[in-house]
Order: sequence, then C-alpha cells, then structure tokens
Amino acid sequence: MNNRIMNHPVLGKLEKEAAFTFTFDGKEYQSYEGDTIASALLAGGVRTLRVHENSASPRGIYCNIGHCMECRVTVNDTPSVRACLTEVKPDMVVESGKPKAAPFTDRENMPHTYTEFEQKSKRKAGNNHV
Amino acid sequence: MDKVVVCRCEEVTMEDIKHTAEKYQCSAREVKLRTRAGMGYCGGRTCRPLVNAALEEATGEKPGNDLPLKVQPPVRPVTLSELGGDK
Repeated sequence: MNNRIMNHPVLGKLEKEAAFTFTFDGKEYQSYEGDTIASALLAGGVRTLRVHENSASPRGIYCNIGHCMECRVTVNDTPSVRACLTEVKPDMVVESGKPKAAPFTDRENMPHTYTEFEQKSKRKAGNNHV
Repeated sequence: MDKVVVCRCEEVTMEDIKHTAEKYQCSAREVKLRTRAGMGYCGGRTCRPLVNAALEEATGEKPGNDLPLKVQPPVRPVTLSELGGDK
C-alpha cells in the first residue's frame, strides 16, 4: 500500500529519493529519507500508532507537531518516542503502544483501601496478578 | 456532543466533565482531580483551555487566578533520562 504523491508538480518525482525499510510491530514498511515515523506509516496505510492504555481505543496522529503526545511509540526499545517528530532511520524497530492492565475503569467506585480492593476485584486468594 | 473526548490522554468525555461539574459544583482544579482531565501524558497542554471552557459552560465559573489549571515548566514533557537520569 502506498498513499504517497509519487509525482509532484513542484517537488518532482519521488523515485529520486533514497528509500529504505523499517519495521512496525514486526511488519516491514518503506520509508524515504526525511520521513518521520508517522508520515512513513501513514503512507503505508497505518493510522493506529498505539491504543489507549486503559480502554484500548485507537490513537494516531493528532497534532503532528510534537505537542499532544498522542503518537508516542517505542523505537529501538526506547519508550514514549513521538512518531510525528522522529525521523525514520534504516532498520529502525518501531513498536506500537499496547493496552495495560486496568482492573478498575469506573472512576466513581475506585477502591480506597486494600480490603476494598480485594472485595471489589475478582481476585482469587493466592493469585497475585490483578 | 457529550460523547466528545475532551482529554485524550486520560479519555475524559464532555459528559464526564459536565456530570462532575454539576454533581459537585466544583472549580476547574477539582474537576481535574476528580476526572483526571488534564493530568495525562501531555500534561494538560492540549485540553486545558477546553476543560476551562467546559467548566464555564457547566457552572458559569470563569477560570480565575485563585485555583486555575496552572502551567508549569518544562514546556514539553521530558523523560528523566533526558535530564541526566541515565548516568
């Protein structure tokens, strides 16, 4: 998939630029020199760069100027890198943001003590995982 | 309109803010502490004016100087390693 403008009336043909590959969540994508992670993935048809930690709803490019932190991804094991500001380098390994364990989503009924937490969570005795 | 997400970092909708503002008749700061709107990854740099505006609509309270949603340095969120925490 390629959403790029290959032949621009002012900027010329894109084939002249150097192309290389990088991976996003294990899949290979093509990038041109000067691409940001966000622009290369958008051209590759990827609009979801991460999901919300609690609700797992999708997130992608929002402000695209490094302001909102919505496009943060993990680059070469460095977490929270803004995809919209970071230039792609050859063989970069990019991972999307995954949902995290969220035992309580109802903010009104959050447990306030550990006893309440044990009562409210469906946690079995002896199992330390939430 | 009520389903519109105001604070994307903490996923707080207009409905949540209106509901909290009407239930507790509170300041912008209290709404922030109750709903976590503006306490997410971007540090409220995206939604702060929206939270203030939503509050004004719900309670009629103008965002004042006594307990505002204040702005603190740094300008952008930075990691501790960027500040030298890796050494």
